[in-house]
Amino acid sequence: MNDQIGQNAAARPQQGVSFAQTRGAPQALAPGRAMLSLRGLDFYYGANHALKNISIDFPEQRVTGLIGPSGCGKSTLLRVMNRMYDLYPGQRATGEVLLDGQNIIAPGTDTNALRSRVGMVFQKPTPFPMSIFDNVAFGVRLHESLDRAAMEARIEDALRRVALWAEVKDRLRAPAAALSGGQQQRLCIARTIATRPEVILLDEPTSALDPISTARIEELLDELKVEFTIAIVTHNLQQAARCADQVAFFYMGELVEVAPADRLFTAPREKRTQDYITGRFG
Amino acid sequence: MSATTTRLGAASRHVAPEAGRARRRRFANLAATVLCAVATAILLAALVSILVTLVSRGLGGLHLSTFTRMTSPPGSGGGLLNPIVGSIIQTVLAVLVGAPVGLLAGVFLAEFGTGSWVADVVRFVSDMLLSAPSILVGLFVYLILVGPVGHFSGFAGAMSLAILVIPIVVRTTEDMLRLVPTSMREAAAALGAPRWKVVMLICVRAARKGIATGILLAVARVSGETAPLLFTSLGNLSWSVNLNAPMSSLPVTIYQYAGSAYDDWVQLAWTAALLITAGVLIINIIARLGLGGRDST
Repeated sequence: MNDQIGQNAAARPQQGVSFAQTRGAPQALAPGRAMLSLRGLDFYYGANHALKNISIDFPEQRVTGLIGPSGCGKSTLLRVMNRMYDLYPGQRATGEVLLDGQNIIAPGTDTNALRSRVGMVFQKPTPFPMSIFDNVAFGVRLHESLDRAAMEARIEDALRRVALWAEVKDRLRAPAAALSGGQQQRLCIARTIATRPEVILLDEPTSALDPISTARIEELLDELKVEFTIAIVTHNLQQAARCADQVAFFYMGELVEVAPADRLFTAPREKRTQDYITGRFG
Repeated sequence: MSATTTRLGAASRHVAPEAGRARRRRFANLAATVLCAVATAILLAALVSILVTLVSRGLGGLHLSTFTRMTSPPGSGGGLLNPIVGSIIQTVLAVLVGAPVGLLAGVFLAEFGTGSWVADVVRFVSDMLLSAPSILVGLFVYLILVGPVGHFSGFAGAMSLAILVIPIVVRTTEDMLRLVPTSMREAAAALGAPRWKVVMLICVRAARKGIATGILLAVARVSGETAPLLFTSLGNLSWSVNLNAPMSSLPVTIYQYAGSAYDDWVQLAWTAALLITAGVLIINIIARLGLGGRDST
């Protein structure tokens, strides 16, 4: 997979370079710097206090896995970080969510610009009712006006990164709905990375997929984290162990424990974490 | 089957009620199936009877001259050119005016007005309009577009049809947009799309087939409407494409000719009815082929 991307970059040098440039040469930064920091975050669905005083860092170029039983608030946490909750009345967040030092839940934040920096992939693949090409171009067109050649290069780049290019390059104008479920989900990831976000939020991205498609998405995360800060919600503890560098365990709206993945799964400090990962509840 | 049941009943007494229930269920199933089949047959018989009558009576009067000659006095070999053209002009204009209004109102109801009392009122009024007698719409347009101007006009006819188009398009647009999954709206918003782009570029697109079908339903409905045209475009026995003058139309021509004492006029009324039916059928087929082939939702 890495080889393939390497070859592609060699075959189309200008494209690889331009991507690295706009990304601000991520390799130069010390990995581990917190891209996204939550400080004392509380979240309410109306009167329901869904997240309680959450503080956690999402380090750059790392995959953070969010685990916990259903209804523990992990998906809610993702929806705070791109302000998805804004779409619904009666939902509100207090505290700080710092993206590069800037509190994005403060009033006056441009949510559309924010969402171009913090992309999201959902549980069920949601291809738009348009061609494969237009699906990937949709987000790009919202924020940039590229000429035809640049747009085509951007779309090829995004599709190559999700290892979908070889499968769809001859039918970019075909409807996206004709793709298989696994392909659709990779298309949705391509659509998200095409806008060149800094953070990618994934909400159980493989729970609707078969094991082979799941494995491909997991491989993909490993490649994507070189460039993006990734937060993934998963019900699958093996998946969290395989993909995540850091894992956070949530229970009843509280962040119980956050630790490097190997330590959290082998030597959890909290009893509730221990009980959950050994299958005693949840 | 009954042998099995008897044997079961003989074998053990507590199985007997089970067998009785099974028999009752089989009977209920059979009865329901038969009732549905009979209802379908009645419906089909009525439909086929109408179509057969229409074709057998109408086809005889269908000549090239039907499409090339104007309506003319009885016995002088007239055609239907002016009603055909008049109907097309008024229907097209009605859809051009009514469909965008209905579409945008439907979008408002489904996407922007959820939970607001304005939307509830608009939806209620639109549904009232949907079932309002069309002759009332004709009278209304007469009062505002014919009375003050002092003469009947094709424009007034088109506007009365447009008023009938609006509620149909409102209803289907709203229903179709509500079928678009929330996840698709969220996915578009998550890419940083403002609300109006999510609605117009994603939701309306996802629902376009249903919305187009709604517009076609509206075309089918208004192309056969007579009552709203009686007080508005009136009908015109000679050639006129002037929207500011009385304009002929197929339904009004049918209304005038079918009740007349002249055989050739009655024949033309049947032919006109056949043409309307065929026209609606053709529009539907074209739309289905055109929309079905490129469906991606």
